[in-house]
Amino acid sequence: MNEFEQRLRRLPARKLPDDWRAEILAAATPVPTAAPVNGLALLRARLVELFWPHPKAWAGLAAAWAIILLLNLSATDRATVLAKKSAAPSPDVIEQLHHQQVMFAELIGATVAPDADRVKTGPPHPHTCRDTFAL
Amino acid sequence: MPGCTNIERLYDEHAQPLFAFLLNLTRDEADTRDVLQEVFVRLAREPGHLAGVRDERAFLIRLAHNAAVDHMRRRTSRDRTKVNFAAEPLSPFAPTDDPDEQLFRAELAEALGELPEDQRAVVHLKLWSGLTFEEIATALDISPNTAASRYRYGLDKLRGRLRPLYEEIK
Repeated sequence: MNEFEQRLRRLPARKLPDDWRAEILAAATPVPTAAPVNGLALLRARLVELFWPHPKAWAGLAAAWAIILLLNLSATDRATVLAKKSAAPSPDVIEQLHHQQVMFAELIGATVAPDADRVKTGPPHPHTCRDTFAL
Repeated sequence: MPGCTNIERLYDEHAQPLFAFLLNLTRDEADTRDVLQEVFVRLAREPGHLAGVRDERAFLIRLAHNAAVDHMRRRTSRDRTKVNFAAEPLSPFAPTDDPDEQLFRAELAEALGELPEDQRAVVHLKLWSGLTFEEIATALDISPNTAASRYRYGLDKLRGRLRPLYEEIK
């Protein structure tokens, strides 16, 4: 170490303020030094650590989710109940409906036939444009 | 409480050199206090940290250095959006009645402030904490060669900056 370094080394450092000791140790002391002993306590400590910064915000979010869950459950129950209440129509009812449909068709002067029973009219058309050009 | 006693012992043995080191790094008394408190709060919260530590001083320097770097990063981002009304940087050296000596210390403090933080840390630990390059390397998580080269660069800058004043008052 040369003379310049020795000169620098002799310089006294600024003194640590005395009143810091009590303040810093007071800030350090209240923190619990014992680690949580069982798993539940450890989980609780972690949850507190996680949620502590903004407990009201987390509580609000949890409440909103609870309301959404309740609404969702009640809507599901209502739909299930309605579905259970509406039983399948009996064969008599189906027969009556069919009869009414036929009567209605006769009244308006047309016979309503299912699409599958319709007879196709006119010559068959080519399936693709290429075939048309080829012809 | 045994943990509390240990914290008090750690404070009494290491707080003064840590304070000088942190003040040299942060150049601000309030920041130094915040970082020093953070270090001791962390030690109190997790006393197991020191369980397997061989060199207590090097460990504490490392802890303080990391905390200071984090703190300065936060401060830098905070100061980007806020005008800094802070007074001029606080000298890490004790004040003296000798005007020549006071001038030299003030110039040295300013010159140290102009060094990059990594060189300043090594210069401080070598000159004023009396650590070897191996100990500095352990404390700052760098190689001994890096510590030595940072010290040499830093010292050269200080010498160049202070040479006229140093020659005058020698």
